[in-house]
Amino acid sequence: MNKIHFDQLQETLYHQKLDNGLNVYVLPKEGFSKTYVTFTTKYGSVDRTFIPRGGKELITVPDGIAHFLEHKMFEKEDGDVFQQFSQNAAAANAFTSFTRTSYLFSSTSELYENTKTLLDFVQQPYFTEKTVEKEKGIIAQEITMYDDQADWRQYFGTIENLFENHPVRIDIAGTVETIQDITAEHLYECYETFYHPSNMVFFAVGNVDPEEMLKFVEQDQQAKSFDSPEPVVRSFPSEPDYAAQKRSELYMDVSKPKLMIGTKCRNTDMSGKEMLIRELASDVTLDILFGRSSDFFTKAYNEGLIDESFSYEFNLENGFGFAAIGSDTEKPEELEKLIKSVFENAKNNWSIKEEQLERIRKKRIGLFMRALNSPEYIANQFTHYNFNEMNLFDVVPVLEGLTTDQLKSAFENLYYEGGQTTMIIYPSEKSE
Amino acid sequence: MFHKTELQSGVNLYTRQTAQFKTVSVAIKFTAPLTEETAAARTVLANVLEDSSAQYPTRTKLRQALEELYGAVYYTDTGKRGNEHIFTVYAESVNEEYLRNPEVPVFEQLLTLVTESLFKPNLAGETFDEAIVEREKQTIIDRIGSIYNDKTRYANKRMLELIRSGRPASLSSSGTEQTVSAVTSELLKKTYNQMMNEDTIDIYILGDVDTEQLIDRAQTLFPFAEGTRNSVPAAASNVNKEVSASKHIREKQDMKQGKLNMAYSTPVGFKHPDYPKMQMMNGVLGGFAHSKLFINVREKESLAYYCSSSYASHYGLLYIMSGIDAEQEEKTASLIDQQVDALRNGDISDLEIQQTLALLSNSIRSSFDSAKGQIEIYDQYKLLDENFTSDKLIEKWERVTKEDIQEMAALLTKEITYLLSGREAMNHE
Repeated sequence: MNKIHFDQLQETLYHQKLDNGLNVYVLPKEGFSKTYVTFTTKYGSVDRTFIPRGGKELITVPDGIAHFLEHKMFEKEDGDVFQQFSQNAAAANAFTSFTRTSYLFSSTSELYENTKTLLDFVQQPYFTEKTVEKEKGIIAQEITMYDDQADWRQYFGTIENLFENHPVRIDIAGTVETIQDITAEHLYECYETFYHPSNMVFFAVGNVDPEEMLKFVEQDQQAKSFDSPEPVVRSFPSEPDYAAQKRSELYMDVSKPKLMIGTKCRNTDMSGKEMLIRELASDVTLDILFGRSSDFFTKAYNEGLIDESFSYEFNLENGFGFAAIGSDTEKPEELEKLIKSVFENAKNNWSIKEEQLERIRKKRIGLFMRALNSPEYIANQFTHYNFNEMNLFDVVPVLEGLTTDQLKSAFENLYYEGGQTTMIIYPSEKSE
Repeated sequence: MFHKTELQSGVNLYTRQTAQFKTVSVAIKFTAPLTEETAAARTVLANVLEDSSAQYPTRTKLRQALEELYGAVYYTDTGKRGNEHIFTVYAESVNEEYLRNPEVPVFEQLLTLVTESLFKPNLAGETFDEAIVEREKQTIIDRIGSIYNDKTRYANKRMLELIRSGRPASLSSSGTEQTVSAVTSELLKKTYNQMMNEDTIDIYILGDVDTEQLIDRAQTLFPFAEGTRNSVPAAASNVNKEVSASKHIREKQDMKQGKLNMAYSTPVGFKHPDYPKMQMMNGVLGGFAHSKLFINVREKESLAYYCSSSYASHYGLLYIMSGIDAEQEEKTASLIDQQVDALRNGDISDLEIQQTLALLSNSIRSSFDSAKGQIEIYDQYKLLDENFTSDKLIEKWERVTKEDIQEMAALLTKEITYLLSGREAMNHE
């Protein structure tokens, strides 16, 4: 067992790597009633082409399968796992992202009963053709629900425009059509490949005794038998630096047009400290350029080009990355021009000053500390970083050490000729 | 949980010293009667106060000051509870203990910034700055309009307008586009004076701070004028007496999914002694993933991704919301009816009761794991019991029997079935 104490944060992290390859982390939090526990596999919607465990050749599975599998894990021969969690006073859930599938519960009692339920249900797959068919109706309604959400359509439309080949461009849940091809056999194939303990992380945070929990998980895993760990072989198509499509438009039943500018990250084959620096440097740069105290924000807000829906975000994973900036706006073309001019200006006359960096550095350190109040943030963000060989608890030291040169280098990989796209959603009347 | 200090009649300070969080939080809540006009003026005022202050006269200066305070959070918001309109100022900063060499006492400075924004707002002469007021009016109008883009929320809003037109249950806490447009800087100044001098005020401070010292300084920190501050009188009965038969309304928009919602009225509201029984009934019906609606509408029939119920106790209403293929409206509606009937007929297992009790208990206990959760939950439940704890409420749930749940279900009166769906479905009629 490793015990790592973070002095400034006053947190202690406990870690153990089990014989079967599973990484177990526990972070006790004084004064909390609940324990939030996640069990996550490094398997998301982008993992669609891979060599299945025991196989030799690459296969490509139907779109939306990681998410479909997540749904189906909850159903067992003797019923629904939610029933068991409810009985033991736990609120359970799961989510699938581009690169992860996470199963979780939160409870204020019966911690070990619930932990057992979590470990067992994720490690005992049960799929039949009948249960797979039944789920298609439910997921079709989930997809249809998102189809009506303009924010969602715009975000994924922007990503689709940016990437030519990389599977990040495919909707996480697939489409109503692609999920029809999914079979129980597919689910087993994906399960066997990606749900081996060595491809997973267990994280418990909150009201928990670390040594007791580590021992509990270890004994549970020792009592189960697993094949020996094997590295997962994934394959990704090559992806150009430029944006696949410069712009797209959509007409939906919305009250006001919506604009989003996407910009694609290049040189994203990275991990560890280098990646953390890139991520935080990109975040800080965007904050300086577009944050609420920026010249851009003041101008755009005062001129009525943006409203409360304005947001910007940056995403980085090994192999792909992008920033998205958007707002509801009556003047999408003018806002587009203004956002692009901010980028162009930063590219041609780089002028971020030490004092700007200093202020945003402070802001980011404070926001990170505040986020540590949340067990959900700690578990999810830690796991995300862990899969990319970064450490969540390096955030403050990296922020403290950030230089304007690091900002400039991050910016050069975030904004360059040909890497942008524009996505606009207009109210439907305009199409008539 | 919170320690109460009365600063004057109608102005109370609630403090809680705890090391649970890395931040210190402050919330100031102003309560007044809810009307469309006051909601609009107070919401514009909320945005104008958040924009700037006499000390930091532009949005940028105020935001930069917050960034210098290690990204301190400061915002204003409006909401409603029954026939009350609640204006909240919320602020939070990192406890200095976790910062390496902070140059300034961070929370102390944030508290100054917040109280200055309230007591020394950014005035242009006698009233608020015209340009700022107009800009923020537009922001609120856009906010009201944006509900249209979220079809789930929009469907519920429409349904409430159809059964509780002009009444607190359907009024928006931001007002309407018309009432917001009508706000002037003079009206805003009047609203500001009223809020500061006539509202009842609850101040919360929570975190690892010297609360004794804050209590001693409270009169200086929060120099609210002495005045008559009356609580909002209780609303008349929630039950809609004109209701004869349940309505059935279908509306169309350009969308794919059908939103099938229903609303039931109940004589049991938040302050009614049977309130905990109604919470349990709602949990068995549709509050959770073990509930009848989830199991029967989603898991057994695959009709929906979401189908749940929620109990709006301050309005004596219970809503059911689902997202379905509009073609399946009748089948889904009758399946939902069957679940309510099952409760009325006493088709309730011990397991369902046990699971619901377990998850309600987990939910209230968990909500105390965030600073905002502690403030919001206590602020609501203090109306029932100033010494509220989650255990007291859990005890009440524990006493709820199958017969109680059956009885609560029998008190539900269906007022409306509402379907919002896409234009294609319309052609089939």
